[in-house]
Amino acid sequence: MIRSLLCLGVVALAAVLLALALGSVTIPPLGLLDVIQGEGSALHRTLLWDLRLPRTLAAFATGGLLAVAGALMQVLLRNPLADPYVLGLSGGAAVGALLAMLTGMGTLLISGSAFAGAMLATVLVFGLAHGTGSWTPSRLLLTGVVVAAGWGAVITLMLAITPSYKLPGMLYWLMGDVSYARTPWPPLIVLALSIVLVLPLARNLNVLARGPMQAAALGVSVRPLEWTIYILASLLTATAVTTAGSIGFVGLIVPHMLRLVLGNDQRIILPACALAGGTLLVLADTLARTVIAPEQLPVGVITALLGVPTFLYLLHRSR
Amino acid sequence: MTYWPVKALLCVLLFLPVMVWAEVCAEDEKGAQVCLPEPAKRIVTLSPGATELMFAAGAGDKVVAVVNYSDYPPAALKLPLVGNHTRIDLEALLAFKPDLVVTWVTGNPPAQVELLHELGVPLFSIEPRTFEGVSSVIERLSVLAGTEKEGFAEAERFRKGIAEISEKYLSAEPIPVFYQVWETPLMTVSNDHLIGKVLQLCGGINVFGDMPRLVPRISAEVVLQADPHVILAGSVEGASDDELDHWKDYSGMSAVARGNLFFVPASPISRPTPRLLEASQLICQKLDIARER
Repeated sequence: MIRSLLCLGVVALAAVLLALALGSVTIPPLGLLDVIQGEGSALHRTLLWDLRLPRTLAAFATGGLLAVAGALMQVLLRNPLADPYVLGLSGGAAVGALLAMLTGMGTLLISGSAFAGAMLATVLVFGLAHGTGSWTPSRLLLTGVVVAAGWGAVITLMLAITPSYKLPGMLYWLMGDVSYARTPWPPLIVLALSIVLVLPLARNLNVLARGPMQAAALGVSVRPLEWTIYILASLLTATAVTTAGSIGFVGLIVPHMLRLVLGNDQRIILPACALAGGTLLVLADTLARTVIAPEQLPVGVITALLGVPTFLYLLHRSR
Repeated sequence: MTYWPVKALLCVLLFLPVMVWAEVCAEDEKGAQVCLPEPAKRIVTLSPGATELMFAAGAGDKVVAVVNYSDYPPAALKLPLVGNHTRIDLEALLAFKPDLVVTWVTGNPPAQVELLHELGVPLFSIEPRTFEGVSSVIERLSVLAGTEKEGFAEAERFRKGIAEISEKYLSAEPIPVFYQVWETPLMTVSNDHLIGKVLQLCGGINVFGDMPRLVPRISAEVVLQADPHVILAGSVEGASDDELDHWKDYSGMSAVARGNLFFVPASPISRPTPRLLEASQLICQKLDIARER
């Protein structure tokens, strides 16, 4: 168990180092060492400290956040097709961000707007699903899917009426782009805190996965646990989407990939998701900025292109 | 011979004017005063229009990198790329060690431009919206690049050319025009757009000139209602010129009945550069043909 986590940790570190070395300008390993020691050419130093390190750390944090949020959503809704965006969170964040772009606000306000939109979406779905009192995962899922469709309609409207020169920026935000992340510390801190918070609950989550009745019978306070998971998953997703736009695929597939290899114990899966999700996004982002350099691709394209064959291979192998 | 502090003072006084003269300053479109310690030698332009304007200012040999679609003048095609104007490869840009980066106000992603600003790269934002704006920006770019002679000459040539056209068509018969930017969705330009201003220069009345948006999306119905006498569209080299065929179905339209469906090369008219002069002359010719019919 610990061994698999350590293995994932080593792979994550290797991916980060690779990302720091590769780019439109390749920094050789000796060059990397020079820069870390404080010497090295001015160009390499700027590239590393000002461009690549924040971007790579932000990519790692975002990937980790999305993967953990996806795992939590899948446990909460007891549905393997659940991903962090299924309850309309990314839609709400997108509406907030696009509205800010439409009215010409600066990047900080765009991020703030996206976060506010995500939180509004969370509260909205929670409130609507609560309805007459008791809510089940299927009610939550249904409400979330419908609200997500509503956000989608608002996004389409905004894309239709926006002046043409603002369109590329909006589309790139919707596709997800790690280069928007200006500082990696908020998502990194949120990721670290969330792992610390959720690990004690992991055992209860294992029990909850069997069903609410069985969980209640085994002494788990089901309702408070479900609310906590919902709020935590929403917070993680909101942070991820605010940092890098709506990057798809990571939240859905990474938990499944890990389950095929490591089994379904949440105590391992949740931290493993953080590491594996981060690694996947870091590798995808490195590819996105180098494969047809100097053209830059959106990272969401690469995550899907990388992830689909990997997942199919793992699925095939597990039979 | 003389006391050495006096010698030192004389040296400083002698070189002070030179030091002051070497600094070049110009104001950009965002109102920021951009000063360089000496005329720029390594310039990166982040839009095809900026590339053209830089070459027009006489500083083409100082441009070290451009973005996609920088296809005019032909010399620009040989320059290395730093990505697309909507997505810049910042690493490649920094690797060129530019001492001036020319950005496009509405074209470049604000997040990346902010990051460049934070990294201390000298930025100059441009986006001319009027004929005088085109001349002024060429002059300012030539100041920053130290090529004032060519730049000011080119700017003056453009000014004179536009003034000539304006005078020639001052008393021309006004003719309703529709400029089709795109077929589906149907888009046109208002008079705030440079194309709209070209139409006005040639004595044309842009039937959608007063629309609030710069590039409004309209329906065929309002065009039929406005009934222009001329329909113009931009043609792209290599593509088939069939974007105006769909109007031929409406034989009742004045423009269709008189056969006034014309194409003009799209690239010169879409960019706020000196090529607008030639493009304007061409459009004025077409409007003259339409006036005859």
